[in-house]
Amino acid sequence: MKKVVSVLSIITLLALILTLAPANVLAQDEVTCESDVVVQADDWLSKIADKFFGDVLTFPAIFEATNAKAAADDSYATIADANLIEPGWKLCIPTAEYAQVILGVGVEAPTSAESIQIPTIVEGMTNVAFVYVGHIGDGGWTYAHNEGRRYLEANLENVNTAYLESVPEGADAERVIRNLARQGFDVIFTTSFGYMDPTGVVAEEFPDTAFVHISGQKKNATNFGNVFGAMEEMKYMAGMVAGAKAAEDGSNRVGIIAPFPIAEVIRLSNAAALGMRRTCPDCVMDIRWIFTWFDPVKEREAAESMLDAGATVIITGADTPGPVQAAGERGFTGLAYDSSNACLGLEAVCLGVPYWNWGPIYADIVNGVRDGTWVPEDYYGSTADGLLGFYGFMECQEPYPSVPASVIPEMQDVLGQMQAGTFNRFTMFTGPINDNQGNEVIPAGVSLSQSDLEGLSEGYMSAFSIEGREPCTICMGYLVEGFDSTAEIPPLN
Amino acid sequence: MRVKIEPRLDVPRWMPFASIFGALVVALLLGAILLAYGGLDPVTAYWQMLRVGFLEPYSFSDTMVKATPLILAGLGVAVAFKMRLWNIGAEGQLFLGAWATAGVALFWLPPTTPKPIMLAVMTLAGFVAGAVWGAIPGVLKAKLGVNEIISSLMLTYVAIQYNNYFVYGPWAAGGFGLTAPFPKTAWFPRLTDYGNAIPALRGLTAHMGIVYGIIAAVVLYVIFKYSKWGYELKVIGDNPNAARYAGMNLSRNIILTMVISGGLAGLAGMSELAGAVHRLQENFSPGYGFTAIIVAWLGRLNPLGIIIVGYLFGGLLVAGDVIQPAGIPLMIQGIILFCVISADTFTRYRIRIVRAAPVTATAAEV
Amino acid sequence: MSESQFAFEMRGITKRFPGVLANDNVDFAVREGEIHALLGENGAGKSTLMNMLNGLYRPDEGQIFIKDQAVRFSSPREAINHGIGMVHQHFMLVPTQSVAENLILGQSAPRFYINYSELEAQVAELSEKFGLAVDPRAKIWQLSVGEQQRVEVLKMLYQGAKILIMDEPTAVLTPQEVTDLFDTLRSMTASGHTIVFISHKLDEVVAIADRVTVLQRGRVTATVEGKDTTKAELARLMVGREVLFRIQKAPAQPGAEALVIENISCENDRGLPALRNLSLTVRAGEVVGIAGVAGNGQTELAEVIAGLRAATEGRVIVQGQEVTGKRVAAGEQSEASKGGSWDIQVSLDIGDSSINLSKGDERPEKQAAPIMVSEGLAYIPADRTGVGSSPNLSLIDNLILKAYRRPPIGKGWRIDLSLAREQAEKLVEQFNVMTPNVDTPARLLSGGNLQKLILAREISSRPKVIIAVYPVRGLDVGAIEAIHQMLIDERNRGTAILLISEDLDELLSLSDRIVVVFEGQIMGEVPPEDERVDEIGLMMAGTRVEAVHAS
Repeated sequence: MKKVVSVLSIITLLALILTLAPANVLAQDEVTCESDVVVQADDWLSKIADKFFGDVLTFPAIFEATNAKAAADDSYATIADANLIEPGWKLCIPTAEYAQVILGVGVEAPTSAESIQIPTIVEGMTNVAFVYVGHIGDGGWTYAHNEGRRYLEANLENVNTAYLESVPEGADAERVIRNLARQGFDVIFTTSFGYMDPTGVVAEEFPDTAFVHISGQKKNATNFGNVFGAMEEMKYMAGMVAGAKAAEDGSNRVGIIAPFPIAEVIRLSNAAALGMRRTCPDCVMDIRWIFTWFDPVKEREAAESMLDAGATVIITGADTPGPVQAAGERGFTGLAYDSSNACLGLEAVCLGVPYWNWGPIYADIVNGVRDGTWVPEDYYGSTADGLLGFYGFMECQEPYPSVPASVIPEMQDVLGQMQAGTFNRFTMFTGPINDNQGNEVIPAGVSLSQSDLEGLSEGYMSAFSIEGREPCTICMGYLVEGFDSTAEIPPLN
Repeated sequence: MRVKIEPRLDVPRWMPFASIFGALVVALLLGAILLAYGGLDPVTAYWQMLRVGFLEPYSFSDTMVKATPLILAGLGVAVAFKMRLWNIGAEGQLFLGAWATAGVALFWLPPTTPKPIMLAVMTLAGFVAGAVWGAIPGVLKAKLGVNEIISSLMLTYVAIQYNNYFVYGPWAAGGFGLTAPFPKTAWFPRLTDYGNAIPALRGLTAHMGIVYGIIAAVVLYVIFKYSKWGYELKVIGDNPNAARYAGMNLSRNIILTMVISGGLAGLAGMSELAGAVHRLQENFSPGYGFTAIIVAWLGRLNPLGIIIVGYLFGGLLVAGDVIQPAGIPLMIQGIILFCVISADTFTRYRIRIVRAAPVTATAAEV
Repeated sequence: MSESQFAFEMRGITKRFPGVLANDNVDFAVREGEIHALLGENGAGKSTLMNMLNGLYRPDEGQIFIKDQAVRFSSPREAINHGIGMVHQHFMLVPTQSVAENLILGQSAPRFYINYSELEAQVAELSEKFGLAVDPRAKIWQLSVGEQQRVEVLKMLYQGAKILIMDEPTAVLTPQEVTDLFDTLRSMTASGHTIVFISHKLDEVVAIADRVTVLQRGRVTATVEGKDTTKAELARLMVGREVLFRIQKAPAQPGAEALVIENISCENDRGLPALRNLSLTVRAGEVVGIAGVAGNGQTELAEVIAGLRAATEGRVIVQGQEVTGKRVAAGEQSEASKGGSWDIQVSLDIGDSSINLSKGDERPEKQAAPIMVSEGLAYIPADRTGVGSSPNLSLIDNLILKAYRRPPIGKGWRIDLSLAREQAEKLVEQFNVMTPNVDTPARLLSGGNLQKLILAREISSRPKVIIAVYPVRGLDVGAIEAIHQMLIDERNRGTAILLISEDLDELLSLSDRIVVVFEGQIMGEVPPEDERVDEIGLMMAGTRVEAVHAS
């Protein structure tokens, strides 16, 4: 016993010393340029990157280095859009070392810049706290939320933010949220489904604090709202590119990793299948339920299993990019999830990333709370609202090299419709839609309601005491046509 | 010069206290170095931890909530350890106790059941389920000589998976790995429930589970000190051959001890659900059953010592929330534990610095 | 001071342990090349004194000189570097390693490569020289206790010891082995080694020692020449008064049959027959001694009577009541558990008591013996520390080991602690157990005091039958005398006593009848008369009494 404890403690100690090592050794003002380059006609960033570093995907290094230099020295150009550089601009080609840092940081330790902190309020500022379920360095869900927090810091005046990570759902969450409220935070974002009830409880106790819960359905009239978004739109895009790629591969088989048999995951998986069928009517989608949001090993295993079964494109609904890597190792491709940089380092084998862009909505809410204009609501954002993105197709982005060229125009077209609001979740889930057994689930001409999409069954609503919503009629609890006919949702209740 | 470690022949009375105090100082210094290296003022950090864990008006309540399962499970572990029966499966017994509690609260009794009856049945169910889970390694040990360390630990994993099956399967609410919340009749009374009458109690979530803990500690204290059974535990623990020679029934005592030990751990699970979580969910215990082993041990298997150590540990866990990222307070907790445990060595060994050769003097000089 | 004739000198040594003054200003000097016996009762401070010489303890006061050089040792390693080696009562050998490997254990050389053939040759040479026959390649566990002791001696010689301290070396040896050991010791002194021989056995000391230093309660009472002294003188120096070597007792007045053993058979731990159809009767008010070479079923006999071992056949009747069947039913057999349990070593420290767990061998239940107390049976087991007492518990706890269950100590669910303390204090005084107080852990008592404690407990239960197994093994004369007197007092009170011993003197002194066992059977019965010793010896070797008388 003693030995075990000692060994554990030593491991903890070592692990800590290692994680504390300041990984981001080069601050921005220390950029040294290996050489300067003046942009010629017909140059573009990745071409220059290829020339100097032998890899088209190293362009962000030049992008970052030049912008960093420009801050101190205005002879350097400021690049707003990596896709758009003008002849005559002076660019900084950083040292290989610096390029490594810029490119490496995103993959290895995207958040190592965060130092140790004590969440406290600052008098006279708007104090905003975030409660995270995972580590900010998870490269996925929590990472994306933390990017949203940093967006607040960068874009709003007079805002102080703090976070608490790895907070267990349940009793601990309630205590943590309550203590944040006690400290005097003005807005508290709780970013996991399991925080829904605890947030509601504490919201009742602190009427002067605004509480925003992510991914749930609870709210009250005064100080407790919730936020979520139509990730299904981006998963539809993912399905489109996956289908096109599977058709190109000749396999006609796509695999999707589904964390839990909950309405959200089922909805997103169905959207992917619908998108896949749009670009590849013969394609079949395989699915694996892994019962975790974050487990590098299980995620990989699920991917391997579907690759073994003949899939050549893997879409993951969980946090790590491991499945994309697994596909890449076999010469195939995949799609990651959650945050825009999820495929950093995997560009060659990545087809895109459906990601969350929490910053703007956080900013809106915080501004609203400051102005006194915020009203708690069931906010369900869409692509049109800027809450969502599909990496490779948004502004300043280029599709990854593996994306089949033939499908790009159609995807850009669909994205345009989404941004315009003419194609959305309701039009997406409009009948006739059959399940994977061939039974009609959405009759022709019928569109699902918001409650249908969220699978708000009466049982669910009573179990979580959700009020003020209509129960669903065609509840999200089926796999649509396009899924392998043997695929099924693990039974609940 | 050479450092030598020699066994201490006699341990001064002050030594255990001095060693723990010294350990704390060393641990805090080590932690301070790491905090400073990470860019945080150690004094502020420690002050914040101390404040949140122990000094704020709500600290006592928050810390009690965390301490309650540690104390109950720690007492359970202590019962077995007293007999040198290494029940390290308290975590599993806790999970099973929680499972049975949830079954009663959500499915086996109607939500309209009067609160006292509801809670009494939940208590019973929690205890019995934990006891059954503890009895399995007990019976295996008593009848077949199966090592209880292995069996109780392995059964922990079984219990956790069993619990997962229910929260994702038959008892799931929406597939999130948790059940619906308990009806209010299945909630332990909490301080905050009286918040309307006494505003000072608002938001204080300390619950009746701690009363269970204190009662259990007092009962165990009496049992250890005054009862025939406690005496048998002592003798069996110290010398099973003498116990057998004295006619004590070892099999029966092994099983009984594991039943009580498991039952108390089960009660820890019950109290955590009825008092704090209010539903069954995946991973509702962050390893209370394992931490309880350390609590029991540092409490020197003394029920009252376990209450004190459990409370301090609870405070340490609560204080952990103030520093981010979450690894930092975990590390500080690890360092403290490491130092306190290592310091035990100094109570039994002395460290001496000697010169290369033993001191030599001629007889004439003396 | 001129060149010393002493191998070493200890001057003014004082050592205190909490509550105990172990050595009080002791002067002890040993000449080179002599066998010097250090004699004293258990607890007189012999081992403490020698442990200081060996570097295990450091003296609180006083100094040690080797060849007139003051030295301070802080470990046995430093002591051995000065040529002082100690052979402890409990051997410090690794059972799974060979003799040769044990010899180099803890040595700094060889560092990496071990030349076994050379090493074995050295060992063989050493054993030859001192008559310490042992196979260098044998594994320790394969050796008898006597051979293991030789390995310990060899180890010290190999490591260069010139002064060898032997702590009660004969306690574990057979008479033949004792003779061999003495030859070895003499050959060692002949080649210049010095021996310190710790003992409390007067015969041996008189037989081997050139000089004798006697310790009593931490002080030196005398140093005498071996050839000039007598057993009686030494005993007086040791105990501080005249010692009776033969207990005075009135002729027995046997009463009714108290213990009847009918056709008992049983198996030993390895499942081989230990008792074969053995029958025996002990009457109230008599002592029946069981003589025999160890391992001929004596321990098993005691265990069957005490209910700790199941009989395969036969009956045990105590006070007219059969107790065999009851016990077998009450206890659980554990054949199933004998194999198969995993031996996992976990060591956990709680406070100052070290919990050492090696439970692989600990069977859950051999046989519980709940009946025997109620039947008026008391059992004094051979293993005082392993079975008869609970070492880390207090004297109070040890004294209520059997009485806790029933009134007046046991009251309902609880134990009357104040009554237990009261009775413990009374018993400690009555039976003259030397202890600071009744809260002292039993492990701190010397062997004799512990045995007195066990007797006090057993006798205080007012038994009708006492089974005493090797009751004085390892005890010094003073303690032996006290224990024997207690047993005789019990006999005179009308208790039936079954005495199992290997010590013929003890059997002859205490018994009213002597029964000799061989391979689980009774060879015959003899009255306890000194002139019948040869007869007993023959029967111990397996000759039946009829055959003895015929010859």
